[in-house]
Amino acid sequence: MMLEAFVDALYLAFSPEVILYVAIGVFMGVTLGAIPGLSGDMAIAILLPIVFFLEPAAALGLLTGIYKGGMFGGSISAISFGVPGTPGSAATAIDGYQAKLKGYPNKALNTALYSSVIGDTTSDFVLIFLALPLAIVALTFGPVEFFALYAFSLLLISALTKGKVAKGVAMAALGILLAMIGRDPIGGSVRLTFGIPELSGGLALIPVLVGIFAVSELIIQLSKAWMERVRRIVDETKQQAQSLLGDYDASKDKLTFAEFRATMKATWIGTTMGTLIGALPGAGSSLAAFISYGLAQRFSRHPVEFGKGSLEGVAAAEAGNSATSGSTLIPLFAFGIPGSATAALFGAAFILMGMTPGPRLIYDHTEVIYALFLILIYANIINLALSHFLLPLYSKIAMIKSRILLPIVCVLAILGTFAAGNSVIDVWVLLFAGLLGVVLRVYNFPLAPLILGFIVAPGAERALRQSLLIGRGEWTHLLSSPIAIGLYATAAIMIFTFTVVMRERK
Amino acid sequence: MFNIIPSLKGSAAVIATAAMAFAPALASASPLGSDPIRLVIPFGPGGGSDITARVLSATAPEFCGPRIDVVSMSGAAGLEAVNFVRNAPANGHTLLVSDYGPVVTSGFLDDVDWSHDDWQPVMNFTEWLPTVYTRPDHPIQTIEDWVAAAEADPGSITFGHANPMGLVHLPLILFEMETGLENIHVPTSGGGETRSLIMGGHIDLGMTLPPSIASEVASGELTALGVFSAERSPVLPDTRTFREAGYDVVLPAWLMVIATSDVPAETVEYLQDCFMEALASPTAIAMSDRVNAGIEPLNAADSTALYQATVASIGDILRSMGEID
Repeated sequence: MMLEAFVDALYLAFSPEVILYVAIGVFMGVTLGAIPGLSGDMAIAILLPIVFFLEPAAALGLLTGIYKGGMFGGSISAISFGVPGTPGSAATAIDGYQAKLKGYPNKALNTALYSSVIGDTTSDFVLIFLALPLAIVALTFGPVEFFALYAFSLLLISALTKGKVAKGVAMAALGILLAMIGRDPIGGSVRLTFGIPELSGGLALIPVLVGIFAVSELIIQLSKAWMERVRRIVDETKQQAQSLLGDYDASKDKLTFAEFRATMKATWIGTTMGTLIGALPGAGSSLAAFISYGLAQRFSRHPVEFGKGSLEGVAAAEAGNSATSGSTLIPLFAFGIPGSATAALFGAAFILMGMTPGPRLIYDHTEVIYALFLILIYANIINLALSHFLLPLYSKIAMIKSRILLPIVCVLAILGTFAAGNSVIDVWVLLFAGLLGVVLRVYNFPLAPLILGFIVAPGAERALRQSLLIGRGEWTHLLSSPIAIGLYATAAIMIFTFTVVMRERK
Repeated sequence: MFNIIPSLKGSAAVIATAAMAFAPALASASPLGSDPIRLVIPFGPGGGSDITARVLSATAPEFCGPRIDVVSMSGAAGLEAVNFVRNAPANGHTLLVSDYGPVVTSGFLDDVDWSHDDWQPVMNFTEWLPTVYTRPDHPIQTIEDWVAAAEADPGSITFGHANPMGLVHLPLILFEMETGLENIHVPTSGGGETRSLIMGGHIDLGMTLPPSIASEVASGELTALGVFSAERSPVLPDTRTFREAGYDVVLPAWLMVIATSDVPAETVEYLQDCFMEALASPTAIAMSDRVNAGIEPLNAADSTALYQATVASIGDILRSMGEID
């Protein structure tokens, strides 16, 4: 019976039509993910009605392809332009963009691709074979445990850069403050909007992300170009000979096997954290990427390289965010609980196809779900092959001179931001976030803690206040769970070793 | 602006012609232009309103003429969608698909420049029946268990719900006002979080809508205590209503297509007719069954009566809570 279903599923998953839809999906996902502001989730939301017209396996193949492609695609703009294409790739931008500035976009992109595919594939196998046990563990995470996890991640990232711990904590606090604008998640009242009604829904993540990273970069590059221009009036002839690509040498920019092997530890840290965090309902891929990045730095032999173009940093962040992609479906399959926006969209796709998400799903629709499992695995191979073929092209695009590239990126960012929420206010938020980004960059504040603070604050605030409600206002309730105590203790030990022990070694 | 079946091209024209052949009454005078109709939902994609609106967008073009798009605008807690529809030209091409939260409740509580009379329902899809549920190994398994436990130790039971003041929260407030019971209200980010907190043992009870728990209740993985409606839910036939248990608390939530009140009456009538006709088609019925949408359309007149009754009852609740004067 099982075997029969499996054979049927093989036919379904490997029919030429389905393979084609998966490939189209991957291509769409990579391309959309690479455009700042657009993400795979948006494309899935727009294409959801396709399940009315396609066979279930083909429709799920297309959506899976978009999802996986989008997950990796985000890293292309993170590395190439320093602009995370998707929220999940915010951590990739830290080291990826530095590597590109050093002239190695191809190495960074390849590292991102391999770690992404390794993380994703592992996570898919965990979904297939360990969904139920992991889902039961995930359910033990309630508000108390979630607050501990968020606090742990904030401490980990704030204390990331040596000598800048105070600045890091300040930036995390600023991120939390920005995230508190809008509706109070518990009382429902509107706060910190200064009477602007459009802000009552809060600042959206995409414009803040794209503004802080991309628009600020554009403004800085523009002023740099303007300074150059002033100089050029003095020395006009020298500049004219420069080619479109500057002095990028593609032959020196190949990822060697030794370099790849050196990133493996970071990749596995990312894969493990990503898979575990992905299975927690509500935690999300950006949190997974940041925690993986922070841990990989702690356990790296070259922690000093982090933030300066470390390939390990790229590998950890990318493996971390991609490894959530299989496990994020675990709560959906085990209990019918959508744990993330993507899982909610897959849940809606199942519902539209007449399949109810939950533990019965695999028994009631065995062939389709087995076919989906097969697609989840082989979509990674298609992603690997397709992206491998496209990466040299993307690296060349990455090295186009920024004064030509950045305006294009910014136009795309503004369009993408508008398309994401159909909201003009988002475009204003984007521009203001850009100005804030310029100020922060000029004064050398780290941007990562700000973004992480902004991303985790809504969840952290909700978890804290839910805990206090459930614990009837007793703060000791926060220490009522062994998991939470373990997380706080780990954070304390890590901060201690990083600030005290590392300093002595210097 | 009021062209009579404008220049449709290619296959769309064929479909339109076919539709005219089957529905001669409609062909006579369409007050709509050729631009697509936008159904704007004040929520994120993937939820119940999105899925229900998509049944209409997939089936109604054949009966109404133009293409129909579902546009999701969840910004400003849904008010962005409401304002977008409010500011669009009043030609019936931009419609809101919403439950009472963003229109009725927000109209009372939020600082908006419109009143409840600035809207007119085109039709109602369905009535959602708020349902209280828990895990099967929890000591509270019935409405009576809940009341007894809450009376024995007031303010000890944790109750999870999405959207403060939303459609899965107001019935709880109404129930507490009726009975004088106290519970700890734990707002969550949505139905998914409520459910994982219940299943993980972090909270006691929660509120949701029947389709999302129907299959788990049937298989015994969740227990539904009661429904805040006049009659039982068709997908939870064994779950009693609170009225059956002796508590007259009825607060179902509708999902309506709503236009601004300055859309001409004949346009609203045309939309009502073609939407109702589309939803009565075999394709739409099959789709509705498949996605568990429970679509039972009401016409504009009945929907308007329902809308006004909801404005009155939500107003009463909010007044007795002291939220409004």
